[in-house]
Amino acid sequence: MKHNNKGELVLGLAFLAFALFVLLIWVPLDTDTGLIEKVRRRWVIGDALAPSVAAVLIALGGGLVTINALLGRGEPMPLGWSSLRFAGLSFGLLFVAFLLMRWIGPLAVTLAGEAESYRNLRDTLPWKYLGFLSGGFVLIFVSIVAVERRLTVRAFLVAVLAPLIIALVYDLPFDDLLLPPNGDL
Amino acid sequence: MGFWEHLWLGVLTVFTVGPAFEIFGIPISITLLMIVAGFCIGIIVGATPGLAGPMAMAIALPILISIFGVKQDALLPVLGFLIGIMKGATIGGAVPAILFNTPGTPDALLTTFDGYPMAKRGKARKALKAAHFASASGDTFSDLVLFTSAPFLAIMVERFLDLPEKTGLIILSLSFIAAVVGRSAAKGLISAGLGLLVAYIGKGEDFYPRLSLGQEALADGFPVVTAVLGVLILGEVFKGLEDLLRSGPQARDLSQAEASADNRFGWADVRACWPYIRSSALIGTAIGALPGIGSTLAATLGYASGRRSHARKNPEQARFGSGRIEGVAATEAANSAVSGANLIPVLSLGIPGNAAAVFLILAMDSIGGFNPGPSVFKLSGGVTGEGVNPELVVVFGIFTAMMVANALNWSLGGLFMRSVGVMARIPKHLLLPVILLLTLTAIYVQLTSMAGVYFAIGFGFLGYFMRRIDMSVLPFVIAFILGRNLEDTARQAFAATGGDALFLLHSPIALVFILVSVAVVAMAFWRSEAAAPPESHHEPKTGK
Repeated sequence: MKHNNKGELVLGLAFLAFALFVLLIWVPLDTDTGLIEKVRRRWVIGDALAPSVAAVLIALGGGLVTINALLGRGEPMPLGWSSLRFAGLSFGLLFVAFLLMRWIGPLAVTLAGEAESYRNLRDTLPWKYLGFLSGGFVLIFVSIVAVERRLTVRAFLVAVLAPLIIALVYDLPFDDLLLPPNGDL
Repeated sequence: MGFWEHLWLGVLTVFTVGPAFEIFGIPISITLLMIVAGFCIGIIVGATPGLAGPMAMAIALPILISIFGVKQDALLPVLGFLIGIMKGATIGGAVPAILFNTPGTPDALLTTFDGYPMAKRGKARKALKAAHFASASGDTFSDLVLFTSAPFLAIMVERFLDLPEKTGLIILSLSFIAAVVGRSAAKGLISAGLGLLVAYIGKGEDFYPRLSLGQEALADGFPVVTAVLGVLILGEVFKGLEDLLRSGPQARDLSQAEASADNRFGWADVRACWPYIRSSALIGTAIGALPGIGSTLAATLGYASGRRSHARKNPEQARFGSGRIEGVAATEAANSAVSGANLIPVLSLGIPGNAAAVFLILAMDSIGGFNPGPSVFKLSGGVTGEGVNPELVVVFGIFTAMMVANALNWSLGGLFMRSVGVMARIPKHLLLPVILLLTLTAIYVQLTSMAGVYFAIGFGFLGYFMRRIDMSVLPFVIAFILGRNLEDTARQAFAATGGDALFLLHSPIALVFILVSVAVVAMAFWRSEAAAPPESHHEPKTGK
């Protein structure tokens, strides 16, 4: 059965273009050895061969998707603007959550007028939990509220308790583990 | 050391090394304890729509490594726990499928066809007992096939395949996975190509880390855990959240019918189900042994075969789909028979066939000291070649762990699975954000680097988009894991043949592997792209 399949055509062409970019630009410019090299009078496989083979596979797949779309075969692609919008919003939520995770601890230490820096306090109570709990709360609370489309006590409780339980599971039994983002600070 | 000595050492390692506590003076080893814990958690996870065995394995792995470290003696407790989850999740998936018409795992979808009508007639307990019996039978049969065929296959590979043939074999496995997983062979190829490309970033033979864009963070390539957990777990979470955002929180009918008097699963029922269990176990085992083909297809084929057979033999009885106990048994035996057989390519070839096998290989890779592949089955070890091969001891330890899990399945599995129906009541929209945070935390504690978390989120979005464009993620993950192995083997084969660029074509066996690879992809492309009607696109609605 033939049908309009513009999305698949765009997809096939996009992967074809990406493969050509990898094969003709990225691999030659960002690899120091060729496909095969002569090292100490012996031929060896260079670093460029394996990624080139990968690019050929992508090109082959992209070409087949394109041919199918041109012939009106295959299945309509379900990816649409709503998926891109969801990805953008999810990225924004994760960005805010990790921003809080990264800065709430140091900010609280500064506001509390502690003599020590956050780095020195990052494995002590209550400082070590502040970033993780606040970032985790935002991530979970906003996700649940977005699905339920209303503020609920249940969403609040899950968003408070789940990060706390995760923090305790990792932190209480293991002395050498640091919760995010304390290992980087 | 001989075969039996290695076998005995493997059994002893599971039962005696690292006693955790004693019961009536009998020491209980830590491996045994971990198998039991993994099995119980697996059943709970399987019974929870929205969770899955691989998801639990992914989250558990960093915790296990934190507990046991990366020492040689950590291997069996960690693998025992993961094997327990794998087996437990298989039987757990039937619970919500039968009780609430919601499959706990995708492969339990067909269990709903007969299991739920039975539950509505008050025979939920009988359906659960049948599911448990069939599942345990299929699983045990599959394990026995693994124990006998994996060493045999490994010995054949070691004896007959040299470097060019091994390169050809990896190419064949990747082509097969790319071609058969998912609905489009062309997209499978793209997925495998992307996995290989990502695997080659940063890691090469030259001093300059290839394709690293001059970035220090990419010099060592992407950590395996970020790519695997990102694409497999985070991608699934993002997709699940978007589906929920579109549809709103799903209301499930969680009411149960009053139990009827006839809830026994007696000999008459065993006799009625046995032919279907037998053929489904064979189908599931055969499917499980092939890389890339999952338990959902096994369940579908097992059910279809059982339905045909039942209609032919019993034309006067009600058909499958109307609440036949044989239908429940046919599905559950088939999907459970995959779990043992999927370790055949893992142990004998080092090639993971499905997501659960990926996490077992990831555990082996993280802990070290065990490189799955034909060499693990060598009887000789040590400098003189007469000592112990520790890898073979681990293999027999894994086999013992699987048998322990089977014993648990037969003895306590049924009882436990009938008590976890409550897990289906946890709404998916509460679960997914928690899994998101838990996975990101697990990645952080393993890598102790926010860069790792950011990479994982990036891979999560890649996995999300791949799912949205109907591209299977499994070829990506398996190609990513096998990428380095493929390149190393090809490098060695090229050097060993004196720089012969056509080394794959000059060996008859390698040539056959390459020709079969091309044929598999071509046939799959022809079938999936040209023959499939567009109407077949819609996925069945599952609890996942």
